Amino acid sequence: MGTGRKGSGMSGRALRVLRPREAGEALAALSRHGGEARLAAGATALQLDWAAGAERPDLLVDLSGLPELRGVEAVGGNLRIGAATPLAEIEADATVARLAPLLGRAVRTVAAPAVRSLASLGGNVAGRTGCCLPALLALDAALEILTAAGRERVALADWLGRAADPASLLLAVTLPPQPEGAPTTLRKVGLRAAFSPSVIGVAGLLSLDHGVIGAARLAAGGGPVRPQRLPRSEALLAGRPPGAVDWAGLHAALLAEIDAPDDSLRSARYRRLAAANALVAGLGGAGMLPGGRPGALPRYRPVGTGAPAGERVVSRAADPAGWHRRPDIADKVHGRLAYLTDARAPGMLVGRILRAGRPHARILSIDTAEAEALPGVAAVVTHRDVPGLNAYGIMVQDQPALCGERVRYVGDAVAAVAAVDEATAEAALALIRVAYAPLPVLDSPEAALAPGAPPLHPEGNLRREVRVARGDTESAFAACAHVVEDTYVTPRQMHGFLETEGGWAMMEADGSLTIRVGGQHGARDRLQIARILGWPEARVRVVTSPTGGAFGGKDELTVQPALALLAVKTGRAVRLHLGRAESVAAGIKRNPMRIRMRTGCDADGRLLAVSVELTADGGAYASLSPAVIETALEHCCGPYIVPNVAGVARLVATNNGTCGAFRGFGANEMTYAIECQMGRLAQAVGCDPVTLRRRNLRAPGSPGFFGQTVGPSERLAEMLDAAAASPLWSAGQGQGQEPAAVGVGLALNYQGNGLGSLPEDRAAVELRLAADGAIEALYGLDEIGQGLQAAIRSAVAARLGVDRAEIRPVIGDTGRTPDSGSTTASRGTFVVWEGARRAAPAFARALLDAAAQRLGRRPQGEAPDGSGSADLALGPGGIREARSNSGRPLLGFAELAAGLPPEALPRSRAAFDFPKADYVAGNARYLFAFGATLARVAVDRVTGEIRVLDLHQHTAAGPVLDAAAYLGQIEGGGVQGLGFTLTEDARMEAGRYAASNLDGYLMPTIADAPERSRVLALEDLDLGDPYGPRGIGELGIGAVTPAIAAAVADAVGHWPGAAPFSPETLLRALCDGAAA
Amino acid sequence: MSAPRFRLNGRDGVLPGDPARSLLDILREDHGLTAAKPGCRIGRCGACTVLMDGRPVNACLVMAYRLEGTEILTADHPEAGPAAAIVRAALIDENAFQCGYCAPGFVLALAALLNRAPEAGEAEIRAALTGNLCRCTGYASILRGALTARDRLRAARGATGAEPGGPDPSGSQLPR
Repeated sequence: MGTGRKGSGMSGRALRVLRPREAGEALAALSRHGGEARLAAGATALQLDWAAGAERPDLLVDLSGLPELRGVEAVGGNLRIGAATPLAEIEADATVARLAPLLGRAVRTVAAPAVRSLASLGGNVAGRTGCCLPALLALDAALEILTAAGRERVALADWLGRAADPASLLLAVTLPPQPEGAPTTLRKVGLRAAFSPSVIGVAGLLSLDHGVIGAARLAAGGGPVRPQRLPRSEALLAGRPPGAVDWAGLHAALLAEIDAPDDSLRSARYRRLAAANALVAGLGGAGMLPGGRPGALPRYRPVGTGAPAGERVVSRAADPAGWHRRPDIADKVHGRLAYLTDARAPGMLVGRILRAGRPHARILSIDTAEAEALPGVAAVVTHRDVPGLNAYGIMVQDQPALCGERVRYVGDAVAAVAAVDEATAEAALALIRVAYAPLPVLDSPEAALAPGAPPLHPEGNLRREVRVARGDTESAFAACAHVVEDTYVTPRQMHGFLETEGGWAMMEADGSLTIRVGGQHGARDRLQIARILGWPEARVRVVTSPTGGAFGGKDELTVQPALALLAVKTGRAVRLHLGRAESVAAGIKRNPMRIRMRTGCDADGRLLAVSVELTADGGAYASLSPAVIETALEHCCGPYIVPNVAGVARLVATNNGTCGAFRGFGANEMTYAIECQMGRLAQAVGCDPVTLRRRNLRAPGSPGFFGQTVGPSERLAEMLDAAAASPLWSAGQGQGQEPAAVGVGLALNYQGNGLGSLPEDRAAVELRLAADGAIEALYGLDEIGQGLQAAIRSAVAARLGVDRAEIRPVIGDTGRTPDSGSTTASRGTFVVWEGARRAAPAFARALLDAAAQRLGRRPQGEAPDGSGSADLALGPGGIREARSNSGRPLLGFAELAAGLPPEALPRSRAAFDFPKADYVAGNARYLFAFGATLARVAVDRVTGEIRVLDLHQHTAAGPVLDAAAYLGQIEGGGVQGLGFTLTEDARMEAGRYAASNLDGYLMPTIADAPERSRVLALEDLDLGDPYGPRGIGELGIGAVTPAIAAAVADAVGHWPGAAPFSPETLLRALCDGAAA
Repeated sequence: MSAPRFRLNGRDGVLPGDPARSLLDILREDHGLTAAKPGCRIGRCGACTVLMDGRPVNACLVMAYRLEGTEILTADHPEAGPAAAIVRAALIDENAFQCGYCAPGFVLALAALLNRAPEAGEAEIRAALTGNLCRCTGYASILRGALTARDRLRAARGATGAEPGGPDPSGSQLPR
């Protein structure tokens, strides 16, 4: 104790820590060091502050070990809580539960359990922004403070009214006991269901005296809201019986009295309204809240005639025999799976990338001399070190590996460093001198298309325009009985993979480069890296698995260019792993879209015309964005017949980050628009949402959206049957604890599989007997979490008739696996299945022939499945008599392999095209998967927040290859879609990200996930359908947003037109509905 | 003054010279223990969750000076309290994870809960896991795994009439 040791942090700045033995020593240190010292107990806010750019103090005074600042005790009937007591102890404390249960509730709203293990009550109070403050005010808390003048006891409310005294130490919080039987309320309004920054918090306590309210204490605060008592409102309560409170009067008083600020996320008005609602509802006045949808608005419910035959729930319980452990699950659960970013080896250098840090500028000069001279720096690379093409991009090579002339977004890479350790690499980055001349920042598509805007690329800022037209929309709209028109706005969603981009690279003895970085198409990464290096592809080996999540965000190159250049220049192994803030700044996002859509139908609800205008923010570089807008436009009529269509989609280059592939790939954004339009037209026509869709549904086998031939086994009508039969329609208006408006909504979707008719879309796979007797299945696809290896085992084992465990998947390594195409576009499942179908027969024959030779049997002939005239057959464990029922193999696979020289080990390779449409004037799909999503939601009448109660996803994608993988893809896509719909948006201000980390970019937590979810599958295929299982990687996200939108509309009568849906807008809709 | 010490997975851990070095770096870089993952480094994703004296903490938020005298258990360690083995087995059986990067953090957060509250209901389980982000699964499979673990713990307790994994009938309490 009491030791202060010098050391250098990551910033290279020394930080001393003082661990005082008693409070006086801490105070003395504080007065001695003034502003250079900082107090810390839990110290949980420090990393956040430092990450946000706060100066590190010279001295940290650690209060966590001071006995008088620790613990909870009842003193003379009052509660005394040491300021350094961790919140987790308070939350579990029996005395707190007895004497101040309101505080216990408040504590649970702070951060998350692991943070509360460290974070202290004093820290929550002293910063004056803590979420416990409203409860403490309502409980009439006081503070024990130590100053140079001695100990002082001051009411919390008074202390908050004073200026902060930096030369004081908070010792404890004291509370009178919470009066027994006193009505209380507490509510923290956040940006998601839990673990959220505070929008506003409130607490209230009414002490009753013989059935009459004595003292009332109401308070608001938390986050940006100044902690405050609300005395004028309190005065309206005192002296009244709880049953005779004028709730409307109180509500009005609260609205007038609560002081709350605006920020870019929520208005002051919203904060005041939500807080007033919460206090009034929480203390007994819920009846005065607006009730939900206008009563005059009819609810149209479909009439179900039964779920489609064969549809079943996908779960472990429903099919225990079909439930297989993922080959990698045990290693993952035990924390022993080695991700590519986990690699450490002696002598391995650490790489870092210098980012532009500004949205648009010309580079005047780059001086690396000082950085190179820093001891421990092995290499610095810039554009001058790029031997080949200094550009990459899947579709257009427009993104510099390292910028030399100009930077176009904050995350542009300008230089990279390899050094002996992280601290040295970081220090070296700071020594690279780059002179910039700022250029105008094009921070929106409008700005980029304005006359005089500087072109970001030679072809101008309108990077792609795609049109579709048929019929005569103008005359058709004139003939429509009902027309609905609106603009749908979708967010810049971040992929949010938990493993940020990274990996390592090394030069091999033969002069080749091996680079191991999580990705989604190793062979294409290799092509791009080789092009940058100016090397033949054969000199580069790319390992892309395992990857800690991708969702499209690792389809394009990420850190590979910098890593490759550093490894080549140093000749040494280099690792590089982006921090989250750098990942946010540099990584691709989903294209934000603005979709103006007009949809019209006749009096019976038959669609006559759709016109759509889509503008997508492309960010600085193309990547796959041109294909994204094309896919979006392809879905502008949904799976419906529309005779007259006029559509245009524009991709605009801006200085807003960079965008590209993301699960759904434009389809889910457009499905949000068209499915909301369908729901609104149904209301206009006066029919239920299933009926309207059924009237317009495309007929199976009819030409696709582009007139292309479409593959067999369409199941749209069946999905509608399933939706109509859903029990959710009659689930009732049952509410949770909070007053809420409940609604049910439906959306239908279909998602194309594969890259489409235009791009090359080939796959090669190989099966071989390994020397140890394992059957290796070589697929150049990536395990990004989706369960690729389980799917490979299922498909190959089924084709060969052997045990799943005998199959060893070999994946994601251009040095070992053939090019199977990308692990994107819902194509992996089909590639796995088709590859096994094609490669297995020849492989089986080769195995049997080798076995026959060993066993002295005749050759096994040409029977395609290894049976027929053959007298040997494959089975679990090895080769057996074809016509014997004995379970024992004649020859085990290991035994067979052991007797063969390596070159004679049986192997079989197959290559094929992904099934394609016959249309080449645009990019059309041939195979599709189908779905209907039903959401049941509760819109909180206090806050306008949406809670998804039930999410039912009906799917039809052919046979389920692996139940766990299927279930996981649909459920995971569902919640990623829920995030898109409710909380996620990587907002930009003047070309810079408003949130740099996961404290500001809010993905769903487990508390945001649906209360109940169900995945159903309809597996049957048309007779003669040769295509087997369809891909489901994107199906699950496809219809979530419009299903939730429809449920919200069902609940409150308002269709949300901008995702993420604004609680503020919904709260206003609730009020408007009540007024109507 | 003797060198400050802490216990790491049952052995003596090595403290760095820099008192501000994060436990996450101490684990991954100094001790080669990579189960704790860097997902955000500001305590907002839970991928680096470890147990500190039995309680879940974000390793990225714990600076070296706080380690003195503490007992740290990481997901690399086979033992993390009496519930850990059952938690792991249940999560494996339910195929609870996809990419798996968040898995070690969830295992420890859940083990900490069930060590403390073996009868936890779904609401408590969700509350205990709010600090752990998963981007792949949508949490449904993790919740199923957690409930399976809870049920198996209950069955094990019913079978033995005591806490699993230890002779101490109060073994559900964390080592403090």
